[in-house]
Amino acid sequence: MRRLLLVLCVAVLSGCGGSALERGPVTLVFKYARILGPADPVPELLHEFEAAHPNVRVRGEALPWTSDEQHQFYVINLEGRSPGFDVMMLDVIWVPEFARAGWLLDLTPGLHPGELAPYFPSTVEAATDHGRVWALPWNMNVGLLYYRADLLGKYGLAPPETFDELARQVVRIQAGERDPALDGYLWQAKQYEGLVVNVLEAFWANGTRLLADDGTLFPEPGRAAEALGFLRGLIASGVSPAWTPAADEELSRRAFGDGRAVFLRNWPYAMDLFQARDSPVRGRVGIAPLPGLAGGPRGAGSTGGAHLGVSRRSRHPELAVDLARFLTSERAQKAIALGAALSPTREALYHDPGLVRSRPELPALHALMRAGRSRPVTPYYLLLSSTVQPEFSAVLVGLKAPARAIGDARLRLSHFLDALR
Amino acid sequence: MTGRTRAARRQALLLLAPTLVALTALTVYPGCWVVWLSLQHRVPIFGVARFAGLDNFAFLAVDPRFWSAARTTAAFTALSVALELLLGVAVALALARQQRGRRLGLSLLLLAWAMPSVVTAKLYEWLYHPTAGLINVLLGAHAINWLGDPRLALPAVILADVWRSMPFVALLCYARLRTIPAELYEAAQVDGAGRLATLGRVTLPLLGRIVLLALLFRTLDALRAFDIMFVLTGGGPAGTTETLTVYAYRSLFQMLQLGFGSAISVVVFALVMGAAWAYLRLLRPRAVVA
Repeated sequence: MRRLLLVLCVAVLSGCGGSALERGPVTLVFKYARILGPADPVPELLHEFEAAHPNVRVRGEALPWTSDEQHQFYVINLEGRSPGFDVMMLDVIWVPEFARAGWLLDLTPGLHPGELAPYFPSTVEAATDHGRVWALPWNMNVGLLYYRADLLGKYGLAPPETFDELARQVVRIQAGERDPALDGYLWQAKQYEGLVVNVLEAFWANGTRLLADDGTLFPEPGRAAEALGFLRGLIASGVSPAWTPAADEELSRRAFGDGRAVFLRNWPYAMDLFQARDSPVRGRVGIAPLPGLAGGPRGAGSTGGAHLGVSRRSRHPELAVDLARFLTSERAQKAIALGAALSPTREALYHDPGLVRSRPELPALHALMRAGRSRPVTPYYLLLSSTVQPEFSAVLVGLKAPARAIGDARLRLSHFLDALR
Repeated sequence: MTGRTRAARRQALLLLAPTLVALTALTVYPGCWVVWLSLQHRVPIFGVARFAGLDNFAFLAVDPRFWSAARTTAAFTALSVALELLLGVAVALALARQQRGRRLGLSLLLLAWAMPSVVTAKLYEWLYHPTAGLINVLLGAHAINWLGDPRLALPAVILADVWRSMPFVALLCYARLRTIPAELYEAAQVDGAGRLATLGRVTLPLLGRIVLLALLFRTLDALRAFDIMFVLTGGGPAGTTETLTVYAYRSLFQMLQLGFGSAISVVVFALVMGAAWAYLRLLRPRAVVA
């Protein structure tokens, strides 16, 4: 309630403000989430851009920490027509929504032929709505399997290609180690976006999807139910610990990093932390593609990451596009990959000798990124996600049968989507 | 009316004016706007805006997620407020009797109360950590799956809220206890009242109104609780810790259903107003006891 009032006030006030007269140099505002770690490479890059454009000042402004708050910030300001920023960092799942809302500048007319070719095709797909390009891919993520190379080696095992194999390996290693504190396979099932990502990966492994191209939800409900049942089975059988329904990225990353698990599904950022000087698992961790289901397609990780879009309210659209272009250029992405644990969206950088020297995992990541799949690219993605979250969670804690959860989610979504048509 | 009282009146109105204007602009106007929104199908970013009458409320009436959130809100409010009152009064009594270390006790209480609830939630996220959390380390082999078990998640959230909000009740009661004149206790002693009788016949009745006031504040806060479950569990598992405000937030800012989300907000608003009205009736001045 209080938040809603706040929004309305902001909406009212922002309508009255603005329109300050412009004097002197042009100022561009870049909204992004600060990059953690000793050196945020972005301020240096912004200075470089200023040096190349003498009459332009660029102000980097921090976004709130969590993705939920960032989305809320953008919705309030963009719906309130605030001209307060020019270039904005967007979670990849928001691009179609913001484009459809008319908040983003269409970048298509200014693109040179072939300009998008160096990017991973899935990142370009995620930036495209109705055949128009609305954002430039900035950094990228993919779900992958971390395994304890020392433990697998000790029992003469290779990284698992299917989940059955993974389950057998967990049983074997746990029996051999006799350590009650050693968990098997960690993944994320807290009721949040990460849960949807994990369930989608199980859907893909079982040859089905959440949303078909024609907009049908759960096009093969039987296969989707099977995949959900399989995930529930991981917890019920003890391959994954009972606390999995409370696990998010950090919780599971911490437990694996403390040496308390054999396998972990997570994003590439975790590798840097596992290889840190004081990490108990330093030098003992390997990465592999996510396992598939026996007889099904190979496992594919979900892709994520950030894009840069230009606000339709920007007073200097050409300069703003230039800035977005500069920040996504090969040079800038290389500087970011060197200074932070973020992975580039340009394929060539994964084999760049200078970069590979300090990030030796990059060539292996390249194949995983290429094989990665996007979450449904739709303007209703958040509606979709927040509707299925409690349903999926109910299945994973054993409160609902998978088929019923799928039915309930469908019913709710059709109610809301009907109002949109 | 003499010219003097008229002038005084005008001055009073003048002094009140900024408050009235601010209240109207910040509360009444947006409040009415929310009610208006709740009667519409409104998804502004997709250009959907049409009058829906009571459609949103009709859907709420059959929406299991709404009823689950309503039940969760009720359970959270009843349990957390009851525990906060019981513990708060007990802590206040203990503090009032304390000879040494009272300042330290008060500072520690204030610390918990002064912490932003997001910080409290993060703190408890680590305390409840399934393998490395302090609580489970202390429990040893009997580690509990606090936030991953649908039966335990709500109690875990309530516990965190009690830790944070109990000091508020304790400080209010403590302040009241300090104003009870010593003569009353002396008189009770002269009359031969024992410790229990003094507590039951003198101290607690004198605390009555302040406890009621604390009850009012805490109930209203608990009905609108948001931060602590949003950070700790995100409303899960299986929606078991999703309160009405969390549901409203998700509908408004994630699903971008402004009409539907406003309908939930209107329900929360009605609940809060109803509770406030009931308490204010109870608080109406009666024969003054002290």
